[in-house]
Amino acid sequence: MIALLLTLIVRRLLSAVPILLIVSALLFCVLRILPVDPAAMSLPPNATIEEIEAQRRAMGLDQPLPQQYAIWLRGALHGDFGRSIALRRDAGELVAQTLPATIQLAACAMAIAAILGLGGGLLLFHLRGTVLEPLADLASIVLLSIPEFLWGLILLFVFGVLLQWLPFTGQVAPGLPLPHVTGFLLLDSLLVGRFDVFLSACRHLVLPALALGLAFSPTIMRVLRSSLFDVYLEDYIVQARLRGLSEGRILLGHAFKNASLPTLTLAGVQFGILFSGTLLVEVIYSYPGMGNLMVDAVRNADLPLIQAIGLTYCVVVLLINTAVDSLYVVLNPKLRVR
Amino acid sequence: MADALARSLRSPRVLIALGMLLCIGFCAVFAGLIAPHDPGDQNLLSILTPPAWVDGGDRNYLLGTDSLGRDVLSRLIYGARTAMLVALFASFGAMVIGTVLAHIAGYFGGAVDWLIGRAVDVWMSFPPVILSLILMVGLGTGLSKVILAIVLVDWTRFCRVLRSEVLIVTRHDYVAAARLLGFTHRQTIVREVFPATAPLLITLVSLEMAIAVIVEAILSFVGLGVGADQPAWGQMIADARQYVYQSPWNLLLPILAIFITVTAFNLLGDGLRRTLDVRLAETGR
Repeated sequence: MIALLLTLIVRRLLSAVPILLIVSALLFCVLRILPVDPAAMSLPPNATIEEIEAQRRAMGLDQPLPQQYAIWLRGALHGDFGRSIALRRDAGELVAQTLPATIQLAACAMAIAAILGLGGGLLLFHLRGTVLEPLADLASIVLLSIPEFLWGLILLFVFGVLLQWLPFTGQVAPGLPLPHVTGFLLLDSLLVGRFDVFLSACRHLVLPALALGLAFSPTIMRVLRSSLFDVYLEDYIVQARLRGLSEGRILLGHAFKNASLPTLTLAGVQFGILFSGTLLVEVIYSYPGMGNLMVDAVRNADLPLIQAIGLTYCVVVLLINTAVDSLYVVLNPKLRVR
Repeated sequence: MADALARSLRSPRVLIALGMLLCIGFCAVFAGLIAPHDPGDQNLLSILTPPAWVDGGDRNYLLGTDSLGRDVLSRLIYGARTAMLVALFASFGAMVIGTVLAHIAGYFGGAVDWLIGRAVDVWMSFPPVILSLILMVGLGTGLSKVILAIVLVDWTRFCRVLRSEVLIVTRHDYVAAARLLGFTHRQTIVREVFPATAPLLITLVSLEMAIAVIVEAILSFVGLGVGADQPAWGQMIADARQYVYQSPWNLLLPILAIFITVTAFNLLGDGLRRTLDVRLAETGR
């Protein structure tokens, strides 16, 4: 079982390698067509033309494009993504610093999406055939059409500005210290025993995580509902009913388990999209994660940083998809036979 | 097909959506006539005023002014023009590229199909938000650049969905019959395959318009959209986000505008899907 799982993971990761290579090459080419000169940008404005030429040679910019890519790839494989032009710091280091905050946000959002999605899906199914069904159906379609960008703004407006229940800027209240152990603020504040920081961080996380979670729950809701419909056509549901089980036990004990498999596959795909959705939510809530760093880098045309962050997003999404595929095999006995 | 379209026009969803879109479209087309002020005119003596019916409101500025004293109502109306232009052209461009590639891949199969399929895979392994931001760095700001970026990101949505539809249609006997009658490949695709995929295509286009409106708002919100001289809803939100305590109205109004437009396109898409798709129309779901 474990051996099978391992081979599966390894095989999936290997098949992701060519995609990553092409993606990184594309990223590299798109950014090299830009009418900006990274060499001139990394020097003070009073640099002479000779100095800029020397810098171009030092950065390898006088080489042909494939060679430039090879130089960059060699560096990237050793964890060296070059220096950020605007921030004058190591690009890989900047990504490593902001990635935990983004992962923390994405994980909380996914938990919310799963709870709302599964609960809502069961509710939608439960309402089938009642007068409320068309209403619930319409509501789920309206919900489906609100993306995380709009949810972020709507929640900010209602709970932040109008009701003033929750903070909507940054990741802790200003003035509180930011303990640094693992980089995950919620965990770190508990590790150093600062419960006030932990509570503040939780309060700051509610709106951004909810905005993302709300945007992704309707899809899970609708897929769970339609796979429950499929499952209820199976003989074992009729058989369970003949055995005299209550409708509640049939739904939760028999149907839900089987209907959750297709839902999981979809949730995995959703989690990949959700992870990149953090970018917008971070910008709306000034949350100091990788998304905000990316937007700053894009505004400054900071090529090395854009490349590093762009690649990180792609790698994380590919890793999430691999993890979900493996989980699927663990949970679905039919796939274990080869 | 004409039959199905007539059926759609009796669907309440489609009718409500079309009504909403006609209003927005009217604002977009006649922005110059309806808007009470020039959207770029600044009046630094009355900045961040609330709507006229609220205390402190100015009757000259029905929906108030922004941080530079520009009329919010006029900017909303001109913003509708930006949003509708992007929605129309971006979804049309993405549709053309996606549809052509999908028909080529699905009809011919084999190596062509493999190649297009892998291109879609690679393209989709970029998260769309990230890809559009990177493209905007390369293209620079401006209305046509936003449209181009959306086309370059979203053609895959059409390609992936339509390809499987083309695969199914191509297996039908009447397609083989067309070939036997001496139709060329191009004639077969245009006259026999394409009409069968068109209902799905129409639905996809209206959903894509909703996506285009959102993406335009997002790009304008982060300052990489249509440019500072052209009013856009995303820009208004970014401006209002900074003065959210002084003037919450300025944040609410463009959010509502985006919400209404996106809901209208999605409602239209959903209504069309229910009435145009023969299989769905039969099951009644």
